[in-house]
Order: sequence, then C-alpha cells, then structure tokens
Amino acid sequence: MRKHSALIALLAAVSLVLSACQGDKTKAAKPELPNPNPYPSTYQLPATEPTLIQNATVLDGLGKQWDKADVLLQNGKIQQIATDISPPAGAQLIDAQGQWLTPGFIDVHSHLGLYPAPETANHADGNEMTSPVTAEVWAEHSVWPGDPQFEKVLAGGVTTLQVLPGSGNLIGGRGVTLKNIPAITVQAMKFPDAPYSLKMACGENPKAVYGEKGVAPSTRMGNMAGFRAAWIQAKAYQKSWQDYVADTVAGEEVDAPERNLQMETLAAVLDGQIRIHNHCYRADEMAQMIDMSKEFGYSIAAFHHGVEAYKVAPLLAQENICAVVWADWWGFKQEAYDMVPENLALLEHAQACAIIHSDDPIQAQRLNQEIAKAMAAGNRMGMNISRAQAIRWVTSNAAISLGLEDQVGAIAAGKNADLVLWDGDPFSVYSHSNKVWIDGKLRYDRNNPAVAPTSDFNLGMLQGQENLP
Amino acid sequence: MRLKSVLSCLLCLWINNAAAESYLIKNARLYTAAGTDSSADVLLVDGRIKTIGNNINVDEKITTIAANGAVLTPALFNSYTHLGVSEIDAIASTVDTYSQNSQLTAALKIADAFNPSSVMIPHNRSNGLHYALVVPESAAGLFAGQATLVKLASQAYVVDDSVAVVVQLGEQGQALAGGSRAAAMALLRQALDEAQHYASNQAAANKGQRWQYSNSYADLAALQAVVKGRKPLLVKVSRAADIQQVLVLAKQYQLNIILAGAQEGWKVAEAIAAAKVPVIMDPIENLPLAYETLAARLDNAQLLQQAGVTLLFTGMSWHNTHNAYLVRQSAGNAVANGLTKASAMAAITANPAAVFGLNKQGDIKEGYAADLVLWNGDPLEVMSYPRMVFVDGKPVSQHSRQQQLRDRYYSRAQRAKP
Repeated sequence: MRKHSALIALLAAVSLVLSACQGDKTKAAKPELPNPNPYPSTYQLPATEPTLIQNATVLDGLGKQWDKADVLLQNGKIQQIATDISPPAGAQLIDAQGQWLTPGFIDVHSHLGLYPAPETANHADGNEMTSPVTAEVWAEHSVWPGDPQFEKVLAGGVTTLQVLPGSGNLIGGRGVTLKNIPAITVQAMKFPDAPYSLKMACGENPKAVYGEKGVAPSTRMGNMAGFRAAWIQAKAYQKSWQDYVADTVAGEEVDAPERNLQMETLAAVLDGQIRIHNHCYRADEMAQMIDMSKEFGYSIAAFHHGVEAYKVAPLLAQENICAVVWADWWGFKQEAYDMVPENLALLEHAQACAIIHSDDPIQAQRLNQEIAKAMAAGNRMGMNISRAQAIRWVTSNAAISLGLEDQVGAIAAGKNADLVLWDGDPFSVYSHSNKVWIDGKLRYDRNNPAVAPTSDFNLGMLQGQENLP
Repeated sequence: MRLKSVLSCLLCLWINNAAAESYLIKNARLYTAAGTDSSADVLLVDGRIKTIGNNINVDEKITTIAANGAVLTPALFNSYTHLGVSEIDAIASTVDTYSQNSQLTAALKIADAFNPSSVMIPHNRSNGLHYALVVPESAAGLFAGQATLVKLASQAYVVDDSVAVVVQLGEQGQALAGGSRAAAMALLRQALDEAQHYASNQAAANKGQRWQYSNSYADLAALQAVVKGRKPLLVKVSRAADIQQVLVLAKQYQLNIILAGAQEGWKVAEAIAAAKVPVIMDPIENLPLAYETLAARLDNAQLLQQAGVTLLFTGMSWHNTHNAYLVRQSAGNAVANGLTKASAMAAITANPAAVFGLNKQGDIKEGYAADLVLWNGDPLEVMSYPRMVFVDGKPVSQHSRQQQLRDRYYSRAQRAKP
C-alpha cells in the first residue's frame, strides 16, 4: 500500500482544491499523472488448508525464543502463536518436536535472475554501465524467473528477496522485492505493493568503471558531484510536476511536463515513495551520503556492504539507517580492507538496525551459517547475543529495511505465513531446512522433492534427483 | 664454587627454556582423520608431540593446559589459495597470482612472489589455519606455473617452492587454447611431448643444441619432473567428460596428477578412484555457474569419498584466500551432506599433508609436529573458534589487524555507553 500512498495523498489534495475552487471556476481539470505501477504484481495468494505446526522451538524474529510452541497458519497468514493451540477442523498437523521454526529469511541484497546461472554474458543483465546515472532502469525488467538458483536459495530458507541492480553506476536503477516462488513471469513473483527501492553506489566501483572510460566520475569527489547534479535535476523535475498539478487544479490549461523515466524515479525518492538502498563500504562515505540526503530532503533506508559500518554504528542508529553487511568478507578491494567479524555484533551493541545479506548465490543458501558466525564473534568478544536476537538480522530487521515489517520477518499473529522449519538448531552448520512455507503454502520439502519441481533449465540436463540442493 | 654456580645457572636457564618449550594439554578430545572422540593428554616438547596418553604426569615447570574435554585438532590445511600473493584483489600491484608473459608459464614459481608479511597471515593463523597450497592462475597459456606449499608459522615461510605444475583445462583452458577443448588437449600433449624430447636429449641440449619447440626452454625444463612422474601435474577441470579425458591422458603419459575443481567429479568417481588421483575441491560448490558445472551438487564430496577418492578441501567459495581458514565451514557443509566428520577432517589436515609431502605433520601422533588448535567446540561448526593455537609446539599470539580494529571500536563503544 505504501507505494501508492503519496499518489493517493496527492489526488486527495487535488480533490480538496477542486471542491474549494468550484465556486470560481466553471471547469476544473484533473491532472494526468503517470501510472506509478505499470508492471503490477500478478502474484495470487494460493488457496491453502489451515496448518498447525506443533511443539517447535520457535525463534519469532522479534527477539523471543519459544522453547515449545504451536503456530497456526490460516489463509496465508499466521493466525496464532501460543504454547498450546487446539487444531481447527481439517487442519494439517506438523509434528515439529525437536525442530526449530523461524520466519522465512529475507535476503535484501540479491542478484538472482539478473546474474543467473550459468554465468554467461548472454545472461548477465544486472549492471547498465553505459552512464553513471541510470535511475531509469528497473531490475525487474532484467530478472529471469527461470534462474535455477532461486530453488537452491529457497532450500536455504529465503522466502523474500530484494533484487538490486549492480553497483557499477552511481545510481544503478530500481530494485524489486520478490517472493521466492517458481514462476514464468517476474510479475508473478513480485511482492504485491512492496515499495520500490533505488540502488545507489559509493566509492570504488562507479569511479573505476567511468574513470577507465575517461569520463566522470573518476574520483570520490566526482561521485558526489554526480549524485548532487542528479538530485538538483530531480528537484526541478519534481517541481515541474507539482506546478503542473497545481496549475491544472487551478483550472489553467497546461500541458503535462514531458516524462523522463530517470527523473521520475528520482522524484519518487524525493516524494518518499522509493527507498534508498545504498552500496557503501566506508564509514566516512556513509556520513557524506547522510549529509547529501539532508541536502536534498530524502531518507536512506540502508547502507549495503557496510564493511566499515561498525565505525559509525551510533550514527547509523541515530539516523535510523539499517546497515546491511556480510559476516566476514574482505580484501577484494581497498574499501573492503577494514573488515571485522564482529561488525554485526558491534552494530547490535549500538542498537542499530543490523542486517546480513548475501550478494552471492552461495552465501544466500546459508545465511543461517553467516549469522551464526557473526553471533559467535560477538559473544567471543564478550557480548551475550542470543539466537533470538541474531535471527532478527535475517528476518525482522531485513523487513524494516524493505518497508515490509508489517507483513514479513516475524512469527506473530497477522503476519504473512512465511516460515522455515529446520531439522535442528538453525545456527548449526549441520542443520537443514526441512520445510519452507510462503504465505502458508508449502514451497519446499526436503523429504518430498515433488513439492518443488525443478526449473525448466534443469530439465533434461540433470536426471532424477540430481537437482537436489 | 664460582664455576659451579655459573654451571648451575646455565643449567637452570636450559631447564627454563626447555620448560618454555613444553606444554601438556590435559584431557583433550582428539578430533582427527582417525576419529573424533578419543580423549587424551598430549605432551608437546621442542615443537613435537612427544607423548599421547592418559594421565601423563609432568614436572610442575611444564605449563599444563586444562582442556577439560575441549576439542584438539591438527592445524588446518587449505589446498587451494592465493595466500600471500594477492593482498587486495582489485589492486593489480598487490596481485601476483598470474602473468601475461607467455614465455614463462610452467616455469613461473609462485613461491617467488610469496609475501610472509601479508596481513592475511595472522588473520588465518589465529583462526587455526597453518598450511596452504598457493596456486598460480593461467593467463598467457594453459600452464599457470608451479604451486607452492607455505606454512603460517610465527614467521610464515615457504616449505616447498614447487609441489606441482598447474595446468588449466575446461572452459578456461578452451579459451586459453584459442577456443576449443580439443586445442587445449592438443597443446597439452604437445608440451608433454616436447618436455619428453627435451628430457631425453638433455646431453645435447647442455652442449648447446637447440630445437624448434613451441614451448620455451624454461617451461620445458619446468615440465621435466612432470613427464618423469616425479612431480604432480595439478589439473584444473570441472566437467565429467573433461575429467575422463584427463585421466586417459595421464595414463598415456604415465603422469602423476591431482584434479582441482571437479564439480562434476561424482559422475566419474569410480574412474578417479581407480586412477588413484586425489581431488582438490570445495564441497560447497553446488551451482550450475558454468556449463561445465551443470551437475554440481552438495554431496559431491561424500560420493567421491564413497568411491575411494582422496579428498583435499578448499573453501569457502571464492573466499579461499583472505578467509582461507573458512575451509572448515566448507568441510562442515560436506558433513551436513553426508561425509563423516573424520573424513572431512582428513581433507583439511592429514590428506593434504600426505599428498604434498609434509613429513609427520597434519595429524595428532607421537613424533608429529605440534601444530595444533584447541577449540571451544566442534571445529567444523560455524559457531566454534580457536581457544589456543600452537605452532611448532608454542602457543601463538591471537593478534591480527582485524582484532586490533575490533578492539579499538569496541572499547570506544563501551566508553560511550552511559
């Protein structure tokens, strides 16, 4: 709903002005605004039987561990979590004795479908590196739903993915939030009414990509100049539409400004409709980006790949910006040199919104192991981080960064029934997901491959069970 | 009197030094290639494991470490890294893993570029990794050069500057050979034929006779030991069909080979085992990232092991250098997918030690090097970390750049708390 809220507010304002003006003007026109959702989700909530998961150890994603609890799923939602729920008539019962239940995992930094497997040039559609500002491109127009990696990541418990364009550009384009379900079209995977995101990138990547071409930016100051020029243009574009709406409502016959896709996305950021997900490794650059957001009046949802986020953890907490990081990646470039395995723990310590991400299809299959390493590193340092706390790094905190915390990331009444049942402690390297539900529908069952048919790609290439994770 | 006191003082110094070199680890759970649940005391003297037994009693001057049932393993070995030859991957001046110079392919010794002062070394050593194969990459020809074996001792060093000659086949080999796997195989045979010819005409070569070879004399000299079967040819290959071709070629030329990659190895596991060819692999690779790895799967390690193949692990994915110690996470994932814990430990300790000729290392046995790690839990578990790390019989500092950064910011955060 959020995505439309600004438009609805605008239309409401229009109608108010219209009624106020009715006495003066004989004919008041309605401004013609671009459709904000021309590629709408076609995802259909599947019909499901009620399911009662009994006697599970539950990490609810909100900071609590239930040692023995029942969770009832009905009509795609979590109906109830309690220590003892009587099964409703016709409910499917799942005996989860000795098993662990967590919310479905959310990977807020995925390139699945944009860089599918096999990784060939024919398939690589993630980085429109032809101009430093490509706010006009939308990741969903590149996502190949047939990427055989989606099913592997589902087996790792990932139910929601934010697919982002690459980081070669200053402003790389719109990201899209998907439900990890098998589909022929990306529209069928789109999370209904999820806010759009915009990918921005600080640091080495844009300056290297364009510096090598001999064009701006070739420096970090060039990066900043490039961002600021884009926002100045976006401000003007935003105003041109605001003026058009006001003039039209005032009864003047004015033409709508010419649409500019790049500016349309940036103006929607300024309007608060699109959330900024900003690739930014270095602490000092995060502080620059925060100042820039204030200069132009927008907010930043999250810094991604924040290898140095721990250095500015209190600032991120104060600014209410999530830090999206790996457990231990480092050394592949200069800006990834100051890694500490305690990054997530130090962010947690500062009460910042800490999130794990994959950026990689191998990592995405085992985000549970990644948060386990990060939790252990913090506890080794002397903190006392529980599993119930650490699971938030891949569930509810991730949902907050996407603006979807009302729907996913927690096991609580009213949330979407996205759940993972693990055959043991989800923080153990030896554990597997046994079952994965999305909106109450079983989408993966380790013991029943028929639940999740393999991708078209694998047909005829792999035999029998060769496609198993 | 004076002489006597000097002597006794010298003696006491000697005893103190001896004591400083000796440690008794009491009641540890030994977790090795042989098994994971025997308990014992382990006495370390002068860098070696002197005695393993129950209730070993020692002089009070010997430092005793109460393990209280904690796990003790041999130090870890990662069999495919760029440790010490690629400091920051995106900064070319710090990367020595490959060369574009086509005159030197097999002749390149990556050991010549090894930097023992790399900040990667304390990070990995303090996380329990003490041995690594450092492998060059191919860029100007099929041959990448000669792999080296390094030890991450208190001062890291090259143990053996040429443990194998590395050759790239598969998709990348195809590209290097001009666009066909068939060309890559033909070039490989040509190089081996020339190396054999050069070897059998060494006397004439020494007198200055020269032939029209396609490969440089330096490269052919480097291939001598390979064609004589004295040094392994480490072949990077993924697809099942490509592995089979390599096995045929190895038999034909009587080569001693090691496979690296082998993502589809499980499909030809019996043939690999029959040829007694060890495999360097990352058990975590399960994606069809290339057309040569369509059948990659998580139980590759278990299926190869079942067929009798000697496994040597690398990991974790492409973090096998800066985080080479994460080879244990890959090993843990192999166990999660069917491999036994002992076999997984073998693949990161005893197996590579044996394959790469480390004498009396990579295991917990009397007389073996005291390169050991005492853990706070199951060493293959991601939540575990080393409590103490012994290199050559002595505990080593846990200091690393990462720890200094962490401590700086954690102490600031604590001071800031009300």
